[in-house]
Amino acid sequence: MTPIIETDGLTKRFGERLAVAELDLAVPRGSAFGFLGHNGAGKTTLIRMLLGLTRPDAGAIRIAGLPLPAQRARVLARVGAVVEGVGGISFHAHLTGRENLRILAAVRGPETYPRIPGALARVGLSDRADDRVKTYSQGMRQRLGVARCLLADPELLILDEPLNGLDPAGIQEFRETIASLRSEGRTIFLSSHQLDEVEKTCDAAAVIDQGRLIAQGPIAELMSGGQPELEIGCDDPAAARQLLHADPAVAAVHDTPGGGLRVHLLTGGRAEGAGAVNARLVQAGIAVFRLEPAQESLEQRFLRTTTRVGGSAT
Amino acid sequence: MIAAEILKLRRNRPLMAFAALLSIGAVVLVFGYSALEHATNPKMNGPAGGDLGFSRAVRLGGLFFGALAAALIGGEAGTADVSSGVFRDLVATGRSRWSLFAVRLPAALLVTLALNLTALALGTVLTFALAGGQPTPGAGVIADAFLWLVLANAVVVALAVGVGSLTGSRAVTLTGVIGWQTVATQLLEREPSLGSARDGLLNVALGQLMPVSGGYQGITMAGGIAVAVIAGWFVIPSLLGLRRVVTEDA
Repeated sequence: MTPIIETDGLTKRFGERLAVAELDLAVPRGSAFGFLGHNGAGKTTLIRMLLGLTRPDAGAIRIAGLPLPAQRARVLARVGAVVEGVGGISFHAHLTGRENLRILAAVRGPETYPRIPGALARVGLSDRADDRVKTYSQGMRQRLGVARCLLADPELLILDEPLNGLDPAGIQEFRETIASLRSEGRTIFLSSHQLDEVEKTCDAAAVIDQGRLIAQGPIAELMSGGQPELEIGCDDPAAARQLLHADPAVAAVHDTPGGGLRVHLLTGGRAEGAGAVNARLVQAGIAVFRLEPAQESLEQRFLRTTTRVGGSAT
Repeated sequence: MIAAEILKLRRNRPLMAFAALLSIGAVVLVFGYSALEHATNPKMNGPAGGDLGFSRAVRLGGLFFGALAAALIGGEAGTADVSSGVFRDLVATGRSRWSLFAVRLPAALLVTLALNLTALALGTVLTFALAGGQPTPGAGVIADAFLWLVLANAVVVALAVGVGSLTGSRAVTLTGVIGWQTVATQLLEREPSLGSARDGLLNVALGQLMPVSGGYQGITMAGGIAVAVIAGWFVIPSLLGLRRVVTEDA
């Protein structure tokens, strides 16, 4: 299937600083796609280029198969976006939530007006729609931002740091909203530095560091791409540590707080590695009562990868 | 889109209250004060209304307090989207930046005229009500005055929208436009050494076309030059503002 967003060699400079460097991105249609990076990594710059808010210095962008900026109006008519500014999501604070949507509906076109009540209801703001936005909490502003996106009946939603300022209940609601939007066949592209939430919400992701794309693919693939690790519980950890240290397939062995061992394997998959380690320990007379693959979280993987590229993780 | 732009302006209560004070409030204050002066000392002070009162109301609306209201509203229209951060969301709809700019001027002008035409209508009523036997303007003069007020307000609104769109800063726009129109212009038009360079001042050019007495009578210029000057003050800031809106990063 054609990716809904494709970039080819996309580059943007601000003076001497390279904000986005030769970015080749492919976002699968119908996915919830996380765009990960530290603050200042280039996430918002990419989003601004996708939305025609700033021009790339080099490279090409295609959204839904159409080139930008040549087909900008046609493309963006079916894209809903929330782009974070310096002070968060922006609205006319002296207007009500409903009036803010009317402003955007006027710009999108008259066919958009009838969608306003539905969009407000969908994000749970019908009761507060006629209150001024300056009285809204950060979470309510985030929801109003999503409602603003929905006015376009979007094929693609681009959300810049949508989880900022949400409390746990708000995050749970947000996950449900994303799942619901995906079930309608829409694609959600969300940038974030909250990796655990991306892991729970998205099915694919890309990682950007210092403007460069360093990984992209399904979440499961991204998480499995690291060094295989095993957690082991046995009756003689000291003997096991000594035995495994001498094993050429083992990179390192560490004690864990619970009295067990964490084994970093050099090569091979987790299953093969686990079998070999288990056999070796049992043959040496060590009773193994626990052996499980240690799943690296997306956050651990992200920090390790960006540290390698960027020199330091924050 | 113009209706949406008007919504943004008219729901800004402090802006509307202050603009109403400058336009309608100023007429009430000036006529009220003149009527009080006349009542307390009729030999020294003529009636508040009549030709003189009408001339005062026209100047208030086109050159002084009404022009300040026009600058306030135009400045707000020129800067509101950028200063609130909403501009990027509007651009992200795919709507052309040209059209986003183009609605600002008519919206701001309609809101300004709603206040300043009301103020002049009130001034006209008071002109007749408080004439005290003095001559009053004819229907032709009154009609010309209303048309001139539309012209004067349109050019100040265009100036403020253009400068606002160019700078993106409400404070810079209001300081610049109001400072220029109320302080700098007053000083420069009284400086004879500037000679015909003073013809380029907006208020001087507007004064030449004003259909009642009380314009900048120390300076005279051909009507065509006055029209060209006014057109320049309308077009140049608008083009500068448009260029900025079309080319700036959102």
